[in-house]
Amino acid sequence: MTERWFPDAMPSPAVTDDTRPFFDAALEHRLVIQRCASCGTHRHPPRPLCPYCHSFAAAWTEVPGTGTLFTYSVVHQPLLPALVDVVPYVVAVIELDGTGGTRLSSNLVDAPLDSLGAGLSVEVTWEDMSPSLTLPRFRLHPQA
Amino acid sequence: MSGKACVVGIGETAYTKRGAATEREYVLACRAILAALSDAGIAPAEVDGLAPFADERSSPWTLASDLGLSELRFAATTAMPGGGGACGAMLEAALAVESGQAEVVVVYRSLCQGQFARIGRTVTTGGDASPTVAETGLEADALQGFTAPFGILGPSVMFALPMRRHMEVYGTTSEQLGHVAVTQRAHASRNPRAVMGSRPLTLGDHQGARMVADPYRLFDCCLETDGACAVVVTTAERAADARGRPVAVLAAAEGTDGAQLGGAAANAGATAASYARGGGAGVARRLFGRAGVSPGDVDVAQLYDNFSGQVLLGLEDFGFCAPGEAGPMAQSGALAWPHGSLPTNTAGGNLSEAYMQGLNHVIEGVRQMRGESTSQVADARLCLVTSSPGIPTSAILLARS
Repeated sequence: MTERWFPDAMPSPAVTDDTRPFFDAALEHRLVIQRCASCGTHRHPPRPLCPYCHSFAAAWTEVPGTGTLFTYSVVHQPLLPALVDVVPYVVAVIELDGTGGTRLSSNLVDAPLDSLGAGLSVEVTWEDMSPSLTLPRFRLHPQA
Repeated sequence: MSGKACVVGIGETAYTKRGAATEREYVLACRAILAALSDAGIAPAEVDGLAPFADERSSPWTLASDLGLSELRFAATTAMPGGGGACGAMLEAALAVESGQAEVVVVYRSLCQGQFARIGRTVTTGGDASPTVAETGLEADALQGFTAPFGILGPSVMFALPMRRHMEVYGTTSEQLGHVAVTQRAHASRNPRAVMGSRPLTLGDHQGARMVADPYRLFDCCLETDGACAVVVTTAERAADARGRPVAVLAAAEGTDGAQLGGAAANAGATAASYARGGGAGVARRLFGRAGVSPGDVDVAQLYDNFSGQVLLGLEDFGFCAPGEAGPMAQSGALAWPHGSLPTNTAGGNLSEAYMQGLNHVIEGVRQMRGESTSQVADARLCLVTSSPGIPTSAILLARS
C-alpha cells in the first residue's frame, strides 16, 4: 500500500464505460489521459465523443505525470464527517505536461500551505484507497 | 414601452435562517405566489402560466390545482441550472406572454434548506463509511467522479477554484472580495426583509472570519435560508390595468459560452483563458443588443452572488470593466449605494438578504424600477439582473415604465 493522505470514507467515483480505462490504469500507478483516436485531441474528464471532430473512438496517452499548478483552494471546512481530521487539504488543478494543456483536478499533498501559487512544478504520486481504487495526487516537484 | 412583457406583481414570505421556517416549503410557495398576485391586483384564477427554475420542489401541477387556476396553459422550467436560472425563468415567462401562449405567468422559487437537504452538496450513496458518487447514469454525475474523490464536495470549493485563478492572473485580493461583502451588508442594513440586516459587517470582520475554501472566507459565502418568492409577468396591454406601476422586461437572454459546460471544477470545456471568467459574455452581448442599450446605460445592478467573487465575474462579463479590473472597481466603492457609479445588490443579495437563488435579485430590480427600494437609486430607469456566473446562466434588463 502507498502512503495515505485521505480517509477510506472519501466518495468513490461512479465508473462508466468512458472513465474505466483511467481508473484501471491508476490501479497500476499509470496516469493516462483520453485522446480522440481520430484527430488526436486530448480531453479530460473522459467523455464518450470528441467535441471537435465528433469521433466516438478513444485512445489513451500515458503521461509522465508532471505538470504545473493552474489553480488551487485550501479547503478548511470539512463537508464530510470523514474530513474533520483531514482539513485543511489542498484541492489542486494541474495542467499536465504532454497533453496540450489538459487540466485535471486532484490534490496537492505534503506542500507548505503558505507558499502556494500558480505555476509551481508538480508531479504525480499515488494513493491506494482500496484494493479496487487508486487515485492520483500531486506533490511539489523536488527540483522546483 | 419597448418591452412587451411586464412585471406587475412581486411577493415574498418572510426570509429566515435555514431551519427557522414555521411552515413547509410548499406552503411558503403558495403564500409567496398569492402575495405577488395580491400586489398585482390579479385573481389567482386568472393565472394561466407557471415558470419555476432550479430544482424546484413545489410542482406547477399541484400549485395550479391548489391555487384554483381556471386553466393552466403554459408551464416551463429553464434548463439553465440552479442559480443560473432565475432570469431564465423570467425569459420563459416573457416568451410565453409575448407569444400569446399565456397571459399571466408566475415565476417562483421556494427553498427551505431546513425542511430538505442543504443545497449543492455532492450526493453520495453507501452511507458515511463508504460513500460513492450516486450512480444515476447521468453524465453530470459521471463528471463528479473527477471532483468528489478529491474533496471537491460542494459549491464553496467549486467556485473557489476559478476565483483563486482570477487572483493569480489579475492580482485580485481577499480585501477586494471583502468590499463586496461589506457593501452588500450595508445595503441589507436598510432592508427589513434581510436575514442579516441587523448584523453590521466591517472589513476587519471579513478578514478575521474563518476560511471556508480559500479564497472564500465565511462572509464571502451566501446565506442558507428558508423562504419563498414570486414574480407576476403579463403583457403590456394587461399591465396597463394593473394595480401598481408596471416594470418592463426590456430584454432577456440565457446560455453559456461553452467554457462552463460540465463545471470548471471538472475542467470540461474551460480553456486556460476562460477559466477565470464567468462564461456570461455572450449572454451579455445578446442581452444589451436586444435592448439596444450598453452597460453605461445601466443605473443599478443585481448581480448573482452565491460567493462574493461571483459579483466580480459578473461585472467583467457584463462589460462594466475589463477582465481583471473588477476587484479594484469594488474596492473603489463603485458598488455602494448611494454614491457609487453602479450600486449593486441593493437589498443585500444572496450574501446578506436571503438565498432565493436570485429570484430575490429580480424582485429587488423591480423595486428599484418602481422607486420602492430601501436603497433607492435616484432616477433609476434601467436595472440589470444576472444569474450565476460559472454555470450556464441568464440575465434580464428591467426598465422603468
